[in-house]
Amino acid sequence: MTVATEFPLSAKRRSKSAEMKRYGFFPGCVAKESCTELFNSTMLLADKLGIELVELTAASCCGASVLNDVNRDVARVLNARTYAQAEALGLDDVITICSTCTGHMRAANKELLEDELRMEQSNAILGKFGASYKGTVSVRHLLWMLIDDIGLDELSKMVVNPLQGLKVAPFYGCHIIRPESVNGWESARNPHSLEDLITALGGEPVDYAGKTRCCGFHVQLEKDGIAANMVGQNMRMAKDKGAEAVLTPCPLCHLALDGYQADSAARWGRTDLPTFHLPQLVAIALGIDPTKLGLKRHVISPGHVLSAHELAPMHVA
Amino acid sequence: MAKIVLDLFRYDEAVDEEPRRERVDIDFNVNATVLDALEHAKAEVDGSISFRRSCRSAICGSCSMNINGVTGLACKTPIRDVLRADRSVKIDPMTNFEPMKDMVVHMDPYWDKYSRLKPYLQPPDRDEEHERERRVSPEDMKKLVAVANCVMCATCYSLCPVVSVDPAFSGPAAIAYAYRFIEDTRDGQQKERVAQISDDYLWLCAHCYACSYCPKHVDPHDRIIDTKRRSIQVGLTDAPGPRHALVVAKTIKQTGMLAENEVIAGTIGRFNFKGLLKVMPLGLRMASKGKVPPLFMHPVQKVDEIRTIFETMEVPIAS
Repeated sequence: MTVATEFPLSAKRRSKSAEMKRYGFFPGCVAKESCTELFNSTMLLADKLGIELVELTAASCCGASVLNDVNRDVARVLNARTYAQAEALGLDDVITICSTCTGHMRAANKELLEDELRMEQSNAILGKFGASYKGTVSVRHLLWMLIDDIGLDELSKMVVNPLQGLKVAPFYGCHIIRPESVNGWESARNPHSLEDLITALGGEPVDYAGKTRCCGFHVQLEKDGIAANMVGQNMRMAKDKGAEAVLTPCPLCHLALDGYQADSAARWGRTDLPTFHLPQLVAIALGIDPTKLGLKRHVISPGHVLSAHELAPMHVA
Repeated sequence: MAKIVLDLFRYDEAVDEEPRRERVDIDFNVNATVLDALEHAKAEVDGSISFRRSCRSAICGSCSMNINGVTGLACKTPIRDVLRADRSVKIDPMTNFEPMKDMVVHMDPYWDKYSRLKPYLQPPDRDEEHERERRVSPEDMKKLVAVANCVMCATCYSLCPVVSVDPAFSGPAAIAYAYRFIEDTRDGQQKERVAQISDDYLWLCAHCYACSYCPKHVDPHDRIIDTKRRSIQVGLTDAPGPRHALVVAKTIKQTGMLAENEVIAGTIGRFNFKGLLKVMPLGLRMASKGKVPPLFMHPVQKVDEIRTIFETMEVPIAS
């Protein structure tokens, strides 16, 4: 029994050192547009971890939860096209860095894999330009990959710049946990992957009710004030529990949390919590040069928090 | 049997200024439900503990309450699933409602929003004599079955983050119920119903899927999306919500990507200067940090394939 459990582990370790692990990489629209600091810090972190992220450069938007509003089927076919590209490149392990991409790409994949008719319909359309999806792709968020493939123990061994008890409020974003039938990697009601990661990096996770709630990003242009209030409500809870900063695996949440705290202050009081993209905080703990992480591009500067905990000098942010 | 603690919200609006917490110790089987534990506490420990319940089998929808921070039916929640490390279960009234007594809340806003939908069939040719049977094909009925399972427990309404900051929003259940009549082939008010909810709140859903916790698998979020699509189909496109969906579709068709700048301008309306002024402060805050999405999006490789998909599927886009 001992041999049976140990052998695969050591084999895995050998293969890791023998060849660089390659993943398909789907950065999503926002990491290529307004949040380029997320894209850049993801690539720096991958380098540090010794993994290769091969960007799917011909991929389209995942549909961003909005495309369903005009047509129930088009996002599924667009994602089938992306999966077909990944398969053709031999990259069926696809990594995302956005909660919304994760949820919607997984939803499309689930529908394709569980419903033969939908798979056939999608392939009939892909056939018009000679593509076809066989159904071998799996979509995972970088957060899941860090925990499943690298491992929290391994990560904590790599920490050279521990977060010194920095009180970090995890903010999951909706689509990486809900619906549970689509994601299901961890409990939607009581997730703890971000908390586990924060602890592994030497930080102190803050527990608050807002961590699994919505940032309001998807309704920010529909009616004035809704998103700002949702941000204010959640950040108030985090601040009241002693949070000094926020960590999110989603660039849409990042845009809302970082951008709207100034607007929510009137109703919810000033919170001014700096918000880190997932790979930024991991990169800081792993000793990657903080001047390369795009920290100056945050509306709420993380400079004070980083320098107070001696994690980086003030001027990096 | 095991020792467990019910960490209860206690409040009586008739006498108390402020709510308080009370810890009730009981010896109980953790395989039983939270409702069973509350019934036991009420019978054996303190008869004044108040909560709504009736069927005890997830049919009546009465016992929705907040259990460890998440709203759900107490009769459908096994204690073992929610027991915390200190062997307690924290029980509060549903969020998004005013408490009346302990876990009993004022349901009026929820029922008001529901009643506003005229939640009954309005056939086109009213048959006063009731002589004729109105038939629905099994195929047409399929669409309505999930919503027909709704027990109006208000779990989704309680979990909805938009309701929590904007009381004007109907909440998920009311839209799912509107869908139930909009898609009913016997109803004659489809256009009026769609117009009413489109104007009021349909597009305020934040896509958060909190209502996916529905204990009856009504999936209100999917019904909201179906109703939005119907709203665009009947031509109700002159509002930020439908404009947003259509301009997102347009930029993906043109470039393969969701082009942030064009989506913002297209949703607010290019010549809606008042609306554009409102987003200026945020835009300037971001721009001052160099956070500006590209003004011109380069199409992704093989964008023709994406356009082929849109054209084959006849996807509507912004003009």
